Amino acid sequence: MPDAYILGMESSCDETAAAVVRSGEQIVSNVVFSQIATHQPYGGVVPELASREHLRAIVPVVRKALADAGQTYQSVDALAVTQGPGLAGALLVGISYAKALAFALNKPLVAVNHLEGHIHAVLLEERQKGNHEINFPLLALVVSGGHTHLYLGQQRQAGWTYRNIGHTRDDAAGEAFDKVAKLLGLGYPGGPIIDKLAAYGNPNAVNFPPSQIKHRDRRTKGEPVEAASQLRFDFSYSGIKTAVLRYVETHHMQAEIQTRRRALAQVVRPTLDDYLTHTDSQTLDLVASFQQAMVEDLVGKTLAAARASDVATLFVTGGVAANNQLRQTFEREAAMQGLPVYFPSRPLSTDNAAMIAAAAYPKFLAREFAAEDFSAEAGMALR
Amino acid sequence: MNTREFTTHSAEETIALGRSLADLLRPPKLVLLRGELGAGKTTLVKGIAEAFHAASEEDVTSPTFTLVHEYRGPEVNVFHIDLYRIDTPRELETLGLDDLLSGNSVLLIEWGDKFARFERERDVEIVLERVGENERRIRISGR
Repeated sequence: MPDAYILGMESSCDETAAAVVRSGEQIVSNVVFSQIATHQPYGGVVPELASREHLRAIVPVVRKALADAGQTYQSVDALAVTQGPGLAGALLVGISYAKALAFALNKPLVAVNHLEGHIHAVLLEERQKGNHEINFPLLALVVSGGHTHLYLGQQRQAGWTYRNIGHTRDDAAGEAFDKVAKLLGLGYPGGPIIDKLAAYGNPNAVNFPPSQIKHRDRRTKGEPVEAASQLRFDFSYSGIKTAVLRYVETHHMQAEIQTRRRALAQVVRPTLDDYLTHTDSQTLDLVASFQQAMVEDLVGKTLAAARASDVATLFVTGGVAANNQLRQTFEREAAMQGLPVYFPSRPLSTDNAAMIAAAAYPKFLAREFAAEDFSAEAGMALR
Repeated sequence: MNTREFTTHSAEETIALGRSLADLLRPPKLVLLRGELGAGKTTLVKGIAEAFHAASEEDVTSPTFTLVHEYRGPEVNVFHIDLYRIDTPRELETLGLDDLLSGNSVLLIEWGDKFARFERERDVEIVLERVGENERRIRISGR
C-alpha cells in the first residue's frame, strides 16, 4: 500500500493544532499553539481561549505543520479535523477551515472524534517505535481536564468500534487537579505542579475516603439480561475536591495560601524551588495525599474494569496521563496482572493534531469521508 | 420578587429538588447558579436536566473545562455553562452565549456574577450554600 500523508487539524478546546502523519504510524510534523504559556506569568489567570483565538492561529499553525513536514497543501493525500466533543464555536473554526481547504484542493476530508484521537495517539507512537503487536480487545482510560472515560476498543477489519464502560459522574480527574491547585494558591494549570510537589510530601498524611458510586440498573424494559450485565466503572471527583477545601478551612490554611498566591504572582516563571520556598510541609502533605488518592482511584477502577472485561492491552492517555505517579503506579500494578500498559509521550498526552491525523488513517483506508454538510458536535459520543 | 428556600440532606435530595423545578424554570430562562466549590451546583443541574428529559443524571458532568454542556430534550434544551475559567468580556463574547438563548432554552450559568450583564438579564437566581457535611441550603429567587 502506498504511503498516505494526512494533514490533521484540532481546535476543540484551548489548543489550536495541526500535524502531518504518514499512514497512521509516523509523525512528520506536529504543531501545537497553546495560550496557556503566555498567561502563566500572571499567576492563576485563565488562558485565552475560544473561537477568536483559534481563528487567529489556525492558518499559521497549518502552514507551519506543512512546512515542518516538507509538504504542501497540494501534496498531502487527505485532511482530517476534530468534529467533537468540545466547544461548538471552537470546533467550528477547525471544521470550517478544513471544509474550505478540502473543497478548494479537492481532497477527501475525514471527521474524527477527539476522544478516539487520544486513543490513537498511543497506537501511533507504538507503531512509530516499531511495535505492531498490540492485542485486542483493549481498554483505554482517557483522562484529562475535560474527560475521564473508559472505552473498550476493538479493531474490526479496517474500522474501529468503541464501547464506553465508565465515565465521571461529575468532575473530570484533571479538573480536580486544577481546582485543588487553584484553591491552594498554586496557579493554573495545576496538574504538573501538583505532580512535582507531591514528591516532597507524605502521601499518607491525610486520608481521603474513596468515592462511592451507585450504579443504577440502566436496563430499559424488554432489554435482554445479557446487555444489562455489562458492568460499569464510573468515577467521581467532586467529593475529593470538596474534601480538600474542607481540610483547608478546618486547618486554618487560608492565610498561608493567600501569602503563597501573592508571592508566586510576583515571580515571572516560578521554578520548582520557588514553589517549594512558599509551600509549607502541611500543604505538601495535603498535595501528596490528594494525588495518591486520585491515582489509587484511577488505577484501581481501571484495573478492575480490565479484569472484568478480560482485555489484552491497556492504554492510558490524555493530559493527566503525563502524571508521573499515575504512570508508575499503572506500570507496577498492570505488570502484576500481566497486562501490557502503554502511554503516549508527554507531547502527545495533551491535545494535539497528530492523534487526529492518526485516527483518520483507518477511516481514510475505508473511504469513510465526511459528508459535505457535517458540522460540529459539541457533545459527540464515541462508539 | 419571590424567594423560596429549601434544605437538602444528600446529593440525592439535591437532584430530586432539581427534578421538581421544571415548572419554575419553564423556558426561556436565564438562571444564575451561585455557590462556592463543592456547593452542589452540578448536582442540582443533574436534576434539572432530568426534569426536562434532556439527560439522565449520570450523564451530567462538570463543564468547567469544556465551558458549555448542552443537553437536548424533546421540548427543552438545557445549557450548563461554567464561567470559572472566563475572566474578560472578550472571552465571554467568543463563547457565543447569545446564540443559545431561544424560546425553548434554559441557560444555567455558574460564576455568572463575574459579569454585570448576567446580573441584569437573569430571570432566576439559585444560591447554594453548604451548611453541613451533606446539608445544603438552596435559595431560589425569581423576578
